[in-house]
Amino acid sequence: MNDSVVAQMVVSGALMGLVYALIAYGFQLTYATSKSINFGQGELVMVSAFICLSLTNLGLPYPVMVPLGLFCGSLLGLFVERSGVRLALEQKSEGWILLTIIIGLLFFSVSENIWGRDDRPFPTPIPSDAIQLFGISVTPVEISVAVGVFMIMGIIELFKRKTLLGKAFEAVSADRDAAELMGISATKTIMLSYSLSGMVAALAGILVAPITTVGPTMASALVLKAFSVAVVAGLDSGFGVVVIGLFLGALESLTSYYVGSGWREAPGLVLLILALAIRPTGVFGAAVIRKV
Amino acid sequence: MLKRLFLILGVEALLLVVLAVIPLTVNNSFVLGLLTLLAIYGILLIGLDITVGYLGQVNLAQAAFLGLGAYTAALTVTRFGFGMPAALIAAAAVGCLFGGALSFPALRLEGPQFALSTLSFMALTTTALNEWESLTGGAQGLQVPRPPLFGVMLGPKGFYWLCLILLVFVWIAMRNLLSSQWGRAFEALRDSPIATDAMGIGTLRNKAAAFTLGSGLGGLAGGLYAFNFQYLQPQVFVYDLMVILLLGVVLGGRKSLWGAFVGATIVVLLPNLLSSRILFQAFSGLGFLLALTAGIRGFVTKTTRPFQAVAPVVAMGMLVVGGIFTSNTEDWRKAIFALMLFAVMVGLPEGLMGFAASFLTRLFRIPPPELPEPVPLDEVLVKKVTDGGPLLELLDLKHYFGGVRAVDGVTLTISSGAIHGLIGPNGSGKSTLVNVISGLYAPTSGGILLHGKPLAKGSLFKVAQRGLSRTFQNLQLFSELSALDNVMVAMKGIYRSPLPLVLLGLTRKNERRAQIDALTLLKMVGLMDDCRVPAKDLPYGAQRFLEIARALARRPDLLILDEPAAGLAQPDITRLLQIIRRIHDRGITIILIEHHMDVVSELCNIVTVLDHGKIIAEGEPGEVKRHPKVIEAYLGGTVEPAGQQYIEQGNIVPVPA
Repeated sequence: MNDSVVAQMVVSGALMGLVYALIAYGFQLTYATSKSINFGQGELVMVSAFICLSLTNLGLPYPVMVPLGLFCGSLLGLFVERSGVRLALEQKSEGWILLTIIIGLLFFSVSENIWGRDDRPFPTPIPSDAIQLFGISVTPVEISVAVGVFMIMGIIELFKRKTLLGKAFEAVSADRDAAELMGISATKTIMLSYSLSGMVAALAGILVAPITTVGPTMASALVLKAFSVAVVAGLDSGFGVVVIGLFLGALESLTSYYVGSGWREAPGLVLLILALAIRPTGVFGAAVIRKV
Repeated sequence: MLKRLFLILGVEALLLVVLAVIPLTVNNSFVLGLLTLLAIYGILLIGLDITVGYLGQVNLAQAAFLGLGAYTAALTVTRFGFGMPAALIAAAAVGCLFGGALSFPALRLEGPQFALSTLSFMALTTTALNEWESLTGGAQGLQVPRPPLFGVMLGPKGFYWLCLILLVFVWIAMRNLLSSQWGRAFEALRDSPIATDAMGIGTLRNKAAAFTLGSGLGGLAGGLYAFNFQYLQPQVFVYDLMVILLLGVVLGGRKSLWGAFVGATIVVLLPNLLSSRILFQAFSGLGFLLALTAGIRGFVTKTTRPFQAVAPVVAMGMLVVGGIFTSNTEDWRKAIFALMLFAVMVGLPEGLMGFAASFLTRLFRIPPPELPEPVPLDEVLVKKVTDGGPLLELLDLKHYFGGVRAVDGVTLTISSGAIHGLIGPNGSGKSTLVNVISGLYAPTSGGILLHGKPLAKGSLFKVAQRGLSRTFQNLQLFSELSALDNVMVAMKGIYRSPLPLVLLGLTRKNERRAQIDALTLLKMVGLMDDCRVPAKDLPYGAQRFLEIARALARRPDLLILDEPAAGLAQPDITRLLQIIRRIHDRGITIILIEHHMDVVSELCNIVTVLDHGKIIAEGEPGEVKRHPKVIEAYLGGTVEPAGQQYIEQGNIVPVPA
């Protein structure tokens, strides 16, 4: 087995893993404020990608399309929060799990009827001709994934630390009741977290679509792996998702090479079940003290 | 009583007869196919309802168990040449096996994590069925001939009757199980895992049992599914099917066998409903009107939140509008499922049968089942002989949360037969100490002895098994269970009925005995008349008393009461004093954590005072109250006569220094 082929596999897998990390980061954003995640997040990625495709087909240039797409993503996130999450949280039930699955299914069906069931190419101004870096070929599209992922995570983390609104976000994450007593509206903060999460999903769609093409099922495998990344890393560690995302991406690329491409989903799923069994709070997550 | 039995059993028997007779009168292979599928999905959904309804967890793996069962049955026949009984048993066993294996990682998980682990399992199963081509034939599919049953070749009618008979067996067995201690334990687990362990019921085995059983039923249904269609393809057992199954359970009504059956009917009929446009329009119109009536009613009576009234109407409205404008409803099937599920989840969370059951009960005035008479308390709590020797010994017990020394070297002996008060300012470590003793936390260091033998550390369940019972400062009742069930589920000694006997319904006598004992305890705390009320609907004071009755059901040697008087009004406090005295009278040793100094002075023979995780004083209540360190701990600064006065009036409240 050739070392350079392995290195190539690891690098391109890891770059893909950053997309999982980005979607997983979207889970973390909502989990922090509301202890809930959108089980239909994959459909948000897919619908946003379709919307961006339509915007591009309308003739909008890339730099205009991207912010518009992100905006649509955050609106979709708000829709999910309003229709699927808020009621369940008010009732202190876990009904949001099923409701977000249901809303995802609705998005799926609507988009396969609007945009069709076929996979379509996603035009991008970023060239896809491979360039050689240290003997490994990477495409500028793949590099754009890495740049985009780190940029948006950096911006959101800065926002959380440096702005008043961001500090409200952190306050609700730390202790919802205490934050409410200090006059911070938890409902509004949860809305903010869902819209940010939707925006992150939209960006993931824009970044990954040139590689995977756009179709109704484009995100169903992605989101499973994002779940794995989020759970293995721990639902409260932004740094962890990047590490685990890179690792899982590389691992699955090697699996599909050695075992067979049909099995490429398997390592993530096994990792997820193992992580839940051995360390439910995740590798990088903080331990939880049970209280009565 | 007779009326109840007659109505409930009568309707079930009638349904069974109708289902059994249809193939004799209607000679239509299409109808027969639907009926067979109905019986199979009935079994599948009853299995799913155990986790989704009783355990209250979102289980996304049932479609995978159906698939595993189907492939197992198919391979048992095609590869090994076994007959139908062996194949069906193998299918159910594989379901149980994988369910059991999956339940172990899933055991410690709740809510989203549980859903995710089942989701992963399903995706993994689909991958394996697709990729393991040498065994499953992969995407090509697998042909399965229907094997003979004890030498008899079953035609469509014969096979239908087989499925129906199995459904009846499953139905009866599940009703026996779910109305037994097991069923109550499953529900207890859903409401409070911590209390389930602390009451010695055990979260572990119950969660594993529930999940294993549900998965086994999924496997059995899979076996029948294989022999029904005689052709298997992996892409059937995927996410879409899972959503439809959940739709069945939620729409039919959770925690109900009838609900599972109604759900199965809907699941079977839906594809046909969608294939005809006119039928679909009629159906969606009906749904819209239902949602509208329910919405308006909820709005007028103000029993629901506006969102709950409006959202289902909007969802069903979309269905109606969609039904008019789209030509092919099949294309939109996922959206249709989604909108229907959404409307039911939001607007009718108890499902069709939940709604129908309460409606019919009122309509026919079906009386609730009769309850036996309580017996004298003496028969339930046999008086224990106390010798005043050491019962519980704590040896230099420490518990740190990071750098916080919540319990910092406590050495303490509780004598048998005592009412031992434990007081101290807020944050002095009382609750942590109790949590360490009862096994919620494992101590950082130190020893705990009960009856002179070491007590298991960090396991609520094992500690409870040793005869220690407790109540919680923040109530941990099984909120959805009735007061009676709350006590019954904790009752020590009746859990012994082995599972096969329970499934066959041979444990009624035990059940009766437990009911009598539980009612006796409820009578003692004055809750006899409220025994059918769900715990969450009881007034606050009654909830506190219910926790005491539930703790007593363990027939403990040592009872820990964690601030039982917190938030109680004066009449309730008087009642509490009486109750505690009666418990003490039965020879049960009590540790009483309390802020109300008058309660402590009234009851305790000895009081230990904690501050900053250390014992600062111990003695009779009167002595302790005058102890300078105690006064300092509560009031801060130096001792002043006014401060002492303050404590003696029974107002121990920490005052900032």
